[in-house]
Amino acid sequence: MFVRWLLGIVFVYASYHKIAEPAQFAKIVYGYDLFPNFSINLIAIILPYLEFYSGMALIMGIFPRSAVFIIDGMLFAFIIALSVNLLRGHEFDCGCTSFGEPGYTSSTTQLLIRDIIMFILGLYVLFFDKPRMGSLTQLTTLVKRRATG
Amino acid sequence: MLYRQIMKELLCFVGLAVITAFTVNFFSPKGIALVGEWDTSKGVITARAKDDVVDHELEIDIIRAREIYLNGKSVFVDARTRELYEEGHIKNAVSLPLYEFDGLFEEFMNKYPDSLTIITYCTGRECEDSHQLAQYLSEMGYSDTKVYVDGYDEWKQGGYPVEE
Repeated sequence: MFVRWLLGIVFVYASYHKIAEPAQFAKIVYGYDLFPNFSINLIAIILPYLEFYSGMALIMGIFPRSAVFIIDGMLFAFIIALSVNLLRGHEFDCGCTSFGEPGYTSSTTQLLIRDIIMFILGLYVLFFDKPRMGSLTQLTTLVKRRATG
Repeated sequence: MLYRQIMKELLCFVGLAVITAFTVNFFSPKGIALVGEWDTSKGVITARAKDDVVDHELEIDIIRAREIYLNGKSVFVDARTRELYEEGHIKNAVSLPLYEFDGLFEEFMNKYPDSLTIITYCTGRECEDSHQLAQYLSEMGYSDTKVYVDGYDEWKQGGYPVEE
């Protein structure tokens, strides 16, 4: 249950900045040099909301298995993208100030390790988490019982 | 059976995400175009957001920039950070880091009359700071601003005059 909340919170938090600054996120997607130009903006528009909804769903215990499936799917894609760029020795640095703080932080390796850990946590939730605990259905059932009993 | 259920749920997520995403993007003042301009041969790249600063009309390439530089009647303004400027900049260029604009522009305005031709630059076609700076300066009264898009890196590689 706590793992579910942790993953959910991380993803909702991660989605916030991408939703608030879509142009910046689009540039990051461009920086990976992995996607055709026409798809970059579409990815930048849709992905953050997928993160947000699956994160929220995990926290609230709604459709937790599908939510974590989506999250692990995205993490898997991020892991591939990061690994490819690590192998290519490709770090995107435009030297811009309008691109976050001057001097880009978090190395590719750090992000990769973080994503692998989260991916494994996702697998744990998928296979071992009891979805009923701390979920919306449990909460509503409890409320109903209190009301009638 | 479970597979069917999961598929339905996934469809819910994707559908919800897609609908919200496009709706918010459409109405948000920071919304971006469905397709951006990511081809560097067309100029500085941009997601084409509603508050986009990139204006291809102002852009000049390295050949043109060199001509203007040789004329000697313009001021090259470096939008990059102070550190990058000090590591190397176009000869005689003025440092006006974008994130220090508010603090520095008064001094700049006192020194450089707004009748001057201003050429802004940053690192290259993947950086839009040059455009942002050009926009700020034109708002401050500099009517003749241009953006040299190939930036410092190409200038130096071309063997053109730099100061380090």
